[in-house]
Amino acid sequence: MFELNEFILKKAEELGFGDVVVLSYETNRRQVRFANNEITVAKHWHERKVELFVEKEKRIASTTVTELSEENVERVLKTLKKNIENLSPKEDYYGIAQGPFKYKDIPETFDKAIVELDEPNDYVETAINSALSEGAKRVAGVLYTDHNRLYLTTSNGVEAFDEGTGIEISVRAFVGDLESGHGTCSARVLKKFDPELAGRKAGEIAHMARNPVQGPEGRFDVIFDPLAFANLLSYMGFMLSAYAAEAGFSFLAGKLGQKVASELVTLKDVGNLPNGYGSRKFDDEGVPTRETTVIENGTFKTFLLNTSLAKKYGTETTANAGLIMPRPWNIVLEPGDYSKSELFGEVKRGIYITNVWYTRFQNYVTGDFSTIPRDGIFLIESGEFKPIRNIRVSDNLGRILSNVVAISNEPFQVHWWEVSRPVITPYVLVKDVGITRATK
Amino acid sequence: MELLEFAVEKALELGASYAEARYEEKSGTHLAMKNGSPEGMDIEADKGIGIRVLANGGMGFASTNVLTRESVAEAVKRAVKLAKAASQVRNEPIEFSEEDFHRVSYKVKMKKDFRDISPEEKLEILRKIEEEVKATGINVPMRYLMYSDQLWKKVFVNSEGAYVKSKIPRVSVVYNLVVFENGQMEQAPFVQRAFSGGFELIEKDEPWNWAVRDVKALKRLITEGRKPPEGRVDLVISPEVAGIAVHESVGHPYESDRIFGREAAQAGESFVKPDMLGERIGSEVVTVVDDPTIPNSWGFYLYDDEGVKARPRYLIRNGIINEFLTNREYAAKLGGRSNAAARAINYNREPIVRMANTYLAPGDYSFEELIEDIKLGVYMVSFNEWNIDDRRYQQRYIGREAYLIENGEIKHPVRRPILEITTRALWSSVDAVGKDVEFYPGTCGKGEPGQGVPVWMGGAHARLRDIPLRRP
Repeated sequence: MFELNEFILKKAEELGFGDVVVLSYETNRRQVRFANNEITVAKHWHERKVELFVEKEKRIASTTVTELSEENVERVLKTLKKNIENLSPKEDYYGIAQGPFKYKDIPETFDKAIVELDEPNDYVETAINSALSEGAKRVAGVLYTDHNRLYLTTSNGVEAFDEGTGIEISVRAFVGDLESGHGTCSARVLKKFDPELAGRKAGEIAHMARNPVQGPEGRFDVIFDPLAFANLLSYMGFMLSAYAAEAGFSFLAGKLGQKVASELVTLKDVGNLPNGYGSRKFDDEGVPTRETTVIENGTFKTFLLNTSLAKKYGTETTANAGLIMPRPWNIVLEPGDYSKSELFGEVKRGIYITNVWYTRFQNYVTGDFSTIPRDGIFLIESGEFKPIRNIRVSDNLGRILSNVVAISNEPFQVHWWEVSRPVITPYVLVKDVGITRATK
Repeated sequence: MELLEFAVEKALELGASYAEARYEEKSGTHLAMKNGSPEGMDIEADKGIGIRVLANGGMGFASTNVLTRESVAEAVKRAVKLAKAASQVRNEPIEFSEEDFHRVSYKVKMKKDFRDISPEEKLEILRKIEEEVKATGINVPMRYLMYSDQLWKKVFVNSEGAYVKSKIPRVSVVYNLVVFENGQMEQAPFVQRAFSGGFELIEKDEPWNWAVRDVKALKRLITEGRKPPEGRVDLVISPEVAGIAVHESVGHPYESDRIFGREAAQAGESFVKPDMLGERIGSEVVTVVDDPTIPNSWGFYLYDDEGVKARPRYLIRNGIINEFLTNREYAAKLGGRSNAAARAINYNREPIVRMANTYLAPGDYSFEELIEDIKLGVYMVSFNEWNIDDRRYQQRYIGREAYLIENGEIKHPVRRPILEITTRALWSSVDAVGKDVEFYPGTCGKGEPGQGVPVWMGGAHARLRDIPLRRP
């Protein structure tokens, strides 16, 4: 599609645009959804599209073109020109990155075996059967395979190509109406894909969660399963963007250089992570992706930036463009030094939360929020796990991060319906977490 | 659309027992303004075809945005192949309910067509919000404003004779405003005003007045707000709060695909079971309706994305569970007909069971009558944080703007009163409902991949007795 990109760039320059970014996609995505141990629907998407960003004297516009004929592309460019000519400028726009750049292959992000995979239903059956063998009665979930090609051309000398694959499964197993467990596995290469493990985890937790009783309220030491902590970090991912901070959606606004988390917390965004579901060779302006430490031993080091926002704040881009809104690629919480069993051994009386959903904020700028544990929830007392239900985590994101007291040494990649931005996190122990429940 | 007829015929040729093809085309403008500075413009232009089939009792779906016969034929082939393969991992075949189909065309008219209005003029709406908020003199350091319009065209055909063509324009404004006064920060996040129709509707709605009202209320909350009462009190909820409550704890659990477990791994299941039809879930005065046909509503449609004619659905009638939201698959399971709740957000999504405009039906109380005999209570006008468990039974709503009610009078603002309650207790506690209905827009999330659909939520004021209210 580079020919098309070049054509668009040439026509855009003829029309007098300044910065121009042409990002073309060719995607093939397949989905198999299942519930009640059977496939409910299987889908396939084939898409070609061009995302186009243009600038003229700080006036900026973007669009997506799906009809890729030369006539239509010219029509779209003329429409953009007509529309932005009288538009007010974005005064704090400072341009896109100057290329060209050199790119390195990211290990484990492409696997021909996934492209050639004809029929993924066996993996679905494997996951269902492994959950059932752990004692589950009903199994639901979804499997995806992905094959994407990206072609990036910019007016600042960038020409970049990336091709990636992926396969992932999310499995939720039920024993009864109130007893469930969840497991996921996301991988960019087939050899790292383990649907059996995802199904087994879901089945095990569902089985452990049998006969739950109403949970308590108050403040508790809580062990967050990677699935649960990933949810919180995924919401935080959005808040790491400098754009979110300016727009009033981040509790990190105004906290650069300050202590925002426990010493144990080192949080990174890694765009070039091997096997990372969000990994890409370059960002939307062509800057090679990299590792960025956003919180180092509890201190907030940087927001995620594109070139324009970096210039605005007198610093360097972190290779997280989004041309308007920088965003994370893979959010990574650095592992600690506890084994999983040591971590659980730290808790005399506390709660183990295996999954959460529906995280919502009362105030994004202060970080006050609540989220709802779902699937197995366990009251830990004297080494015993007692299934409980119907509780809510009601706390503050900054407080949760500051109260992290132990992190396990093995990270897990989490990416599913509730965690749209991939997160790599171990088990995390947080002290004094606010727990509430409905009392009527 | 010849390509759609071609797709349906081709699917039947390849062995599908049922086929539908849906063309969708969306075009529009999105503008944002951050802290007074325009953030640029996004022009939306998207179109494509989605094909859904049943073959051997399995369901397959494929879509393409390459609108050639070859590409559509390839998508049809894939959909049929996927359906046949899926049928191998099924306990029973998928069947659809019998329905009457029509050949119809409908559209929502714009008095002021937003396609004829320049982006700069649209930006004026956001500028006006900026100016009016600034004119209050209140410190609002973070301001994020969005304007959006979209013309959504669809053509739907199926192998059972349906042909539905529609054209629905939608226009909306969203704002996030953070008030900082006396060293304290309060926020009105993602507040939306939205309609189906032309530019005139957003002009008439005057979103700047809503924004000004919000920042004034937040400032008053900071300067005059006190702790809310704790323990058992009476609570009056506004149409906005009633709206989120009916959406979350009535609309969602009455979605038949949830009830039968199809969404179990994503949005979850439901505390409601098929045999609960006819069971009491709330007091006599509680009636909840979901109606896609309300003119100019954000969730408006007249035919759903399976070609079935829409009508109001009475989910709860006088406190009794009356009907579920259904599509053809789950109507067949329930042994009835679809009530046209199948919606897809785009050509590349399958239609699934959704709400449209859900509301608490009006009663006969004036607002004064609702509060006159309350000795101690709270009036919750708006909310920020909310959530509910995935069986839709344990919910929580935290007030943004809220006031103490004392001896039948509205007093000072109260900070963040928390309603954390079960669904049955919530609707059983309502003893009176107001006369007037208002609606508030939202984007309802469900499905995988996600399908955020436009909905209205609302209803009348409601009085809830003996509620265990919490403080933060």
